[in-house]
Amino acid sequence: MASLFRAYGRGLGVLLLAIAALWILALIVVPLGAMIEQSLWWKDSKGDITLQIDRLYNDMATLQLDAAGETDAARKAGFEAQIAQKQALATELEAQETNPPKTYGLANFTRMSALHFYIFVRTIFYALMVTALALVVCYPMAYAVALASGPRKAIVLTVALIVPYAINELLRVYAWLMILDYRGVINGILAWLGMVDLDNRGWIPFLENPSAVFLAMIYTYVLFMVFPMVNTLETLDRNQIEAARDLGASSFRIHRRVIIPHAKPGIAVGCIMTFMLSAGSYSVPAIMTRGQGGDWFSQLVYRQFYESNNWNMGSAYAVSLLVVCTAFILIMMRLFGVGLRDIAK
Amino acid sequence: MSTANDSAGARLILNIYIGLFCLYLFLPLAVMSAAAFNAYDYPSVTQWRGFTLQWFVALAHDGRLIQGLINSVMVALGVIVVSIPCGLAGALILTRLGQRSGTVLYSVLVSPVLTPGIILGISSLIFWREFGVPGGLFVAVMAQSSFIASYAMLLFLARLQRQDRTLEEAALDLGASHMLVFRRITLPFLAPTAFTAAVVAFLQSFENYNTTVFAIGGEWTLVTEIASRLRFGLSPVINVVGVIFVALTLVAATTYVLLSSRKKKAH
Repeated sequence: MASLFRAYGRGLGVLLLAIAALWILALIVVPLGAMIEQSLWWKDSKGDITLQIDRLYNDMATLQLDAAGETDAARKAGFEAQIAQKQALATELEAQETNPPKTYGLANFTRMSALHFYIFVRTIFYALMVTALALVVCYPMAYAVALASGPRKAIVLTVALIVPYAINELLRVYAWLMILDYRGVINGILAWLGMVDLDNRGWIPFLENPSAVFLAMIYTYVLFMVFPMVNTLETLDRNQIEAARDLGASSFRIHRRVIIPHAKPGIAVGCIMTFMLSAGSYSVPAIMTRGQGGDWFSQLVYRQFYESNNWNMGSAYAVSLLVVCTAFILIMMRLFGVGLRDIAK
Repeated sequence: MSTANDSAGARLILNIYIGLFCLYLFLPLAVMSAAAFNAYDYPSVTQWRGFTLQWFVALAHDGRLIQGLINSVMVALGVIVVSIPCGLAGALILTRLGQRSGTVLYSVLVSPVLTPGIILGISSLIFWREFGVPGGLFVAVMAQSSFIASYAMLLFLARLQRQDRTLEEAALDLGASHMLVFRRITLPFLAPTAFTAAVVAFLQSFENYNTTVFAIGGEWTLVTEIASRLRFGLSPVINVVGVIFVALTLVAATTYVLLSSRKKKAH
């Protein structure tokens, strides 16, 4: 703190601290806290409250009849006191009915239905698959960009990788939707070859298969896997590769013993980003499946907010997702021995 | 510069792989672009009904998409205004903190980058509702800024690592006020990065969907509007939007390649 004021002076130092504090509080920590809080309570709307209120009004009507037919003043006052008492109780219950009290607990988490829990687990599994596939697909490309090309080719390849990324995420998914749709490009070509019959709905339903989502997802997040690997591979001294080759190592062995070990931090970062993006992706599954293929967990979260209008349950789902992603990040960081500073490059 | 001298066979396989990979990257975009010019009301390249520009005209008359574009630009500008000062302040503080006390702050400030986008959208939506602000453009700006500010901070941090601090110290020794040093030395040094960060922030904001879709409530941006239309079926008008994006990006990319290869030659 003291070094801060020494460097920037008191006025500027305080201003910088204020801006950073505002960022942390208003944009990061408190919203996250609000979401967690929201996930920890619910409001019971019990049907039996309505029933109780109805019964009270019935009783009051009977008492009123009794009071009207009563001539003795003392007993009449007694009836009216009873009516007033029941009226007070009814008003209280009515307030509870329209605005039920909050109950805190973990029920939003434990109440997740078996089907939703299955989708939750499946989404994690799918995200792991996407991550593993993306790693396999991207490694040769990262190697090519970082080590196996001259500077000019490396620039061209880098730009080739960035260009699809600079085009909207959604439009990238859309392009795949066009290709894999019932009347899409592949079915069109197959029809032209006479292998499927589009007029009688004889198309191949690619979009109903989870791999359609995988394909589009890898396409969408490819950059987040390639670039961390390129960054670490570029720091590898090429002489090490040549030395290994001179000593008679095969290409496969060089990759396994020299290049991949060196790329480890990049692999960890790439996997972390890809897993986080795919597990939390709403765009790709929502657009690619259109409700036909299997849901991803993010779609359930969306529905809790915008269809069931159950923000408490939705928050609980979101928190569950966040916990899984955080756990994955921590495990990868531990396994590969990378710190946060390596991730954010 | 020498390349890793793989055997000729391995080299051939790698080149074929690069070719296939580039096909995977660009073929979908080419297909999407081509279909924008097809005179057929389902976006297709296999059923070619002749060249047309009618979908461009349709886009120009599409009020909701145009409004979405305007909203997207406004949100992106809002994000720049919020995230650049935040990122700058975070970076300036972190460079002056010790390794140990800096790490906690660093973790907090970088965490939004590692948080799934939908979580950021949801938490902002809930947070701002407490203040009576429903989902909309404002909440979208706040939700996006939470992680875009982190990106801006990382850019500023990278630049500050290359800073020569003796310059500032000399100015202070010569009696300049902290404010003057900041204005005349620190800010000019960071200005190019601020520009880059603003461009990155704009692009990130413009293309963002996962965070925005939760924070946007009843309003819409270009991207959320496109997404909600895709539920009802495909339309060549969307392809036209795609073509415009592809064209803009290609122009920017070629300029970059030409500039960087010219720079290489100059050296």
